[in-house]
Amino acid sequence: MQDFEQQLRDALARKEQPPYFEAKVLAATRRQPKPVFLRWAFATASALLIAAGIWTDHRAGIQAKEQLELALRVTVTELGKVQRTVRASTEEE
Amino acid sequence: MIKLALITCLSLAPLGAQELKIPASLDRLAAKATEVVDVTMDANLLQLAGRFLSDKNPDDAQVKKLIEGLKGIYVRSFEFAKQGEYQDSDVEPVRAQLHTPAWSRIVGVRSQKSNENSEVYVKTGNGKIGGLAILVTEPKQLTIVSIEGSIDPDQLGQLGGHFGIPKIDTRKETGHGKDE
Repeated sequence: MQDFEQQLRDALARKEQPPYFEAKVLAATRRQPKPVFLRWAFATASALLIAAGIWTDHRAGIQAKEQLELALRVTVTELGKVQRTVRASTEEE
Repeated sequence: MIKLALITCLSLAPLGAQELKIPASLDRLAAKATEVVDVTMDANLLQLAGRFLSDKNPDDAQVKKLIEGLKGIYVRSFEFAKQGEYQDSDVEPVRAQLHTPAWSRIVGVRSQKSNENSEVYVKTGNGKIGGLAILVTEPKQLTIVSIEGSIDPDQLGQLGGHFGIPKIDTRKETGHGKDE
């Protein structure tokens, strides 16, 4: 038990800071800002990604609209055909 | 709780079964066809298309109103260079689904002259039309249209002449009594 207390005391004892400790800490905190071109590159890449996303959504929407138009065109054409067939059949009678 | 969920699932199962499924076997006809229209639009896709329809454009607004209550539009149309490229057995799975109590045939006419067979079915429930199916078989053409959801056929007719859709001549409406 006494051993343990001694070990603890040694571990918690005040120690002198290693040489250049302060300088090292200060150097670490003084981070160099990123070069301007990197910031611009990041901003451009982000803008391009957003634009690509919007364009893809837009393209999908336009395609969906075209598909809808096609579906309605076929539907109405076929209904027209049915109507003509019914009419022709009625006229024959 | 599990029992309740099971009962709910079982009670909803027939509703799901009422939807007209266009059989995948029809896709093999595409290889023989000279022209194919294949449109599969579920509710999400319809919603997306709706976002690209302008309220300011009268034609777009009309279509937007029409698709508001729709859950899906499915179209398969095959045009062939010569007769006999498809068989009745290709269409039978579709007819079998339509010959259920959920669906009513409102038009069924066969033209001896052109050998064309046209059928229009509606799915009704709570006094409303919940679906529309069109089946037109011609010697060189086969078309199946299935529209799921609340639809007003008059609205469909009104689309004729707009939006690049051919106009339906409604001068004589007397033929509608010609059911089987």
